[in-house]
Amino acid sequence: MSVGIFGLAFLAMLGLMLAGMPIAVSMALVGVIGGISAYGVPFMDSIAPVVWGVQNENLLTSIPLFVLLGELLLRSGIADRMYIALSAWLGRMPGGLLHTNIGACALFAATSGSSVATAATVGTVALPSLQRRGYSMRASLGSLAAGGTLGILIPPSVNMIVYGSLTNTSIGKLFIAGIIPGLLLTSCFMLWIWISSVLSGTVKREDKVPLAERLRTLQFLVPPVVVFGIVMGSLYFGIATTTESAALGVVAALSFVAQSGKLNWELLRNCFVSTARVSGMILLIIVAAFILNLTVSLTGVAEAMTKWVAGLGLTATGFILALIVFYLILGMFMDVLSMQVATIPITFPIAVALGVDPVWFGIFIVLMCELGLITPPVGMNLFVVHGIRPDKGGLQDVIWGALPYALIMIGFTLLLLMVPGLATWLPGHM
Amino acid sequence: MSTGAGTTAFGASTMNPVAATAATSSKKASTMKQRIENLLATVFGAIFLLLSAVVTVETLSRKLFNISLQGADELGGYALAVGSTIAFSLALMGRNHIRVDVFHERFPKRMQAALNWLAIVSLALFGAFIAWIAFKVIGDTLQYGSTAQTPWATPLIWPQSVWYAGLVVFALVAVGYAVHATRLLLGGHLDRLNHEFQPKSAKDELKEELDDLAQRRAVETQGART
Amino acid sequence: QDRLSFKAIGQPLATGLIQKNKEQPFFEQFAAKTGLPIDVDYKPIDTLGIKDTEQLRVMKAGLFDFVSLRVSQNSRDEPMLLGLDLVGASPDYATGAKVSKAWFDTVDQRLQQQFQVKLLAVWPFGPQILFCKKPISKLADIKGMKVRVYDQNLAKFIELVGGTPVPVAFADTHQSLSLGVVDCAVTGPSSANSAGWPEVTTHQLPLGFQMALNGYAITLKAWNRLKPDQQAKMSAAFDTLSKDIWAYSEELFQDALNCNAGKDPCTTGKKFKLTQVAVSPADLELVRGAVSKTSLPVWAEVCDKSNPGCSQKWTAAVGPVLGLK
Ligand code: NA
Ligand code: NA
Repeated sequence: MSVGIFGLAFLAMLGLMLAGMPIAVSMALVGVIGGISAYGVPFMDSIAPVVWGVQNENLLTSIPLFVLLGELLLRSGIADRMYIALSAWLGRMPGGLLHTNIGACALFAATSGSSVATAATVGTVALPSLQRRGYSMRASLGSLAAGGTLGILIPPSVNMIVYGSLTNTSIGKLFIAGIIPGLLLTSCFMLWIWISSVLSGTVKREDKVPLAERLRTLQFLVPPVVVFGIVMGSLYFGIATTTESAALGVVAALSFVAQSGKLNWELLRNCFVSTARVSGMILLIIVAAFILNLTVSLTGVAEAMTKWVAGLGLTATGFILALIVFYLILGMFMDVLSMQVATIPITFPIAVALGVDPVWFGIFIVLMCELGLITPPVGMNLFVVHGIRPDKGGLQDVIWGALPYALIMIGFTLLLLMVPGLATWLPGHM
Repeated sequence: MSTGAGTTAFGASTMNPVAATAATSSKKASTMKQRIENLLATVFGAIFLLLSAVVTVETLSRKLFNISLQGADELGGYALAVGSTIAFSLALMGRNHIRVDVFHERFPKRMQAALNWLAIVSLALFGAFIAWIAFKVIGDTLQYGSTAQTPWATPLIWPQSVWYAGLVVFALVAVGYAVHATRLLLGGHLDRLNHEFQPKSAKDELKEELDDLAQRRAVETQGART
Repeated sequence: QDRLSFKAIGQPLATGLIQKNKEQPFFEQFAAKTGLPIDVDYKPIDTLGIKDTEQLRVMKAGLFDFVSLRVSQNSRDEPMLLGLDLVGASPDYATGAKVSKAWFDTVDQRLQQQFQVKLLAVWPFGPQILFCKKPISKLADIKGMKVRVYDQNLAKFIELVGGTPVPVAFADTHQSLSLGVVDCAVTGPSSANSAGWPEVTTHQLPLGFQMALNGYAITLKAWNRLKPDQQAKMSAAFDTLSKDIWAYSEELFQDALNCNAGKDPCTTGKKFKLTQVAVSPADLELVRGAVSKTSLPVWAEVCDKSNPGCSQKWTAAVGPVLGLK
């Protein structure tokens, strides 16, 4: 398939999406039609084993589990009260609860290897409170979609593991390297919320809460801290893998719900329905992405594009700058994990040949993946956060809301380019 | 959720007597829909609660007693295979399969109707397509007598036949919706078609989530006073 | 002269030096290396998003012409494959080569009949050995420890020795070791080196449980498009390739052991400081005993079910090589 035909197919997919066809169908349709027209019946017969392979992937099991965990904390009121407590402490800052969103995402990121799960859980917990307190839905959704991306920058991180195994880079070093950029990016997001809030003229902040009351709210933090502690602790102290820690979290959350006396069939049913709807939406898109990816990989277009970018004869800095543009564009259309697997084998050797540090490049790739998660039209975190919003508005809200954060990420990537030590200093002292 | 279909029925019945009969049948359909939804949600929830329990037992026994059930990860894979197909159906019934609606609202009514119809029909075709091609997986598994390369040595046909049943349910639900949408289109009920099949939007009434929220808030306020 | 264009499913990209230095170059320069008028479009399986357990099914669908077949994973659909590489049957390269040669034709016939795929060659990643983060001086020391395994056969063997087998995906194993989810893990020394396992372990025991075999196969559809002389040329080319890989694999194995233990020569990996445990005759006996005690009976049950007489055929063909009665 020539690059020209491929471009047309991509435009067709874009057209289908913008015309309001379901995202999953648009991706699968272009994948299936493209694949069958190029490779005939054998392509069709190859789809089914791929679909079973994706749906049978234990790593993805953590998605419904983390969503269910969030639902339990949410619907039993536990997360609401945590939010009350956090907002009592953080809400005075200009921007109010939006800071709590970012903080909660960063905290949760330390327990989750996936940005999608981070956005889903914290979003499920936060959005009703935000809506109730009259925050702009656009700003709320944006902060959650962007905050959720911290899930793959702050360790543990599925994307870092994939990068490490593709490039023979130490996964331990990558994890350590993610800590400083993760905390810095968190601060950048909060700084932006502060600034944009002040600039907007109508500074949104929560009422001052008396100290005694604030101290009293600390008790609301006990169940979530214990649940997060179990998830995080089981991961960090060698008791469980990611999916297992999610399951432990579900059991812990369930016992807190039971303890609060709110455990009943109605609550469980609501949790199940919401969890199924959110994860069904995400997983159907993932299935479609794999069908599309089969066609894309067969055509070899991703490689061709990567080679073209690589062939420009640039310096290391110029190369990274070109890659930012390249990944920005590719990330608009591709699932980030597919993007990683398809491009790293070509871009990594070039980067290393130009003298770029492998660990630094890993953090760079993860940042590019974070960016891809919140750029339309294919941005998984946009879909997730949109999927769980309580008021059912349009997708454009989350797209516009996340835009400033996408710009911050690009700016932050440039900062990392100027001060590479932000990523390489800590692992260098291991 | 019942509230959406209920309001549709009410709105239709005030319009004309013909639609009133449609309203009765629609009410029946809505009860049926809720029953299916409840059933699917129960199975879905049971799968993941059970998985969580098994994994917790596995993790604790491994840590505390050095005993491993050896297969919690395998079970997780099967849970996802079955659970995700059920989730596809529930997401469909809740209109959660995501669509970009940036331009949709600005289109004229007839075009919106056409696109809404096309969206559900394409989803039904996709569901039917997946179910159709997946049948080959079942056939191959039977032919080869495939057995998982795991400590449990699970005959693959067990999880795969349940997975397949889930895909068929998804296809049937989607085709059911598509047939319904087609009848609305051919009958000229464009408003109803648009109401029932548009991408979720702010115009939609608040759902049970918000009732739930209000209830929790009431309890909280009460709690704060005591 | 007609030029043919074939598609190949390769090993995953991260697999290591055999994939990088032997397999990929061979397929990418297929015409030059074989003298056949065939161009091959080579795709590592992970970039396609296809799971390795699905290789035989995808090959049967006919989308691809060649496959770099993973033996253990695909024995899910064709149990006979595993007869090439039962736990304990091949503790070293020489035995491994003999065992796989003795069973090759039987597997080839079966694959042709069931999947319309012809087996061209078989080659090893190399001995799968034990890495531990607790001190061990012999294999029996893993008693009571949690050991990462990758399949059913290995799990039974670890149980036999008294360890607790824990199935963990390769990508998760580094984390699982560092977290203490497992105390030991099994893989090839080269894979362990590049995945950084020596960062989180202290001991290596260079005793091969399995050879981690792979095969090259071609669909009959593609095979039958070739003239007899071309078929002969292709068979010869894959023979040469697999011989080359057997030798290279052994080199890499020794080199990776050196690297892990911080010795010289170490040219293919990073140097670490693992304690290398000497393999005792008792250890060797323990591993060899696994064939009759666990791996053959366990495998026979599965294989005979899908293909009556399978294990009998194996005992007849491979038994003499191993001196089994
Ligand atoms: Na994380
Ligand atoms: Na994107």
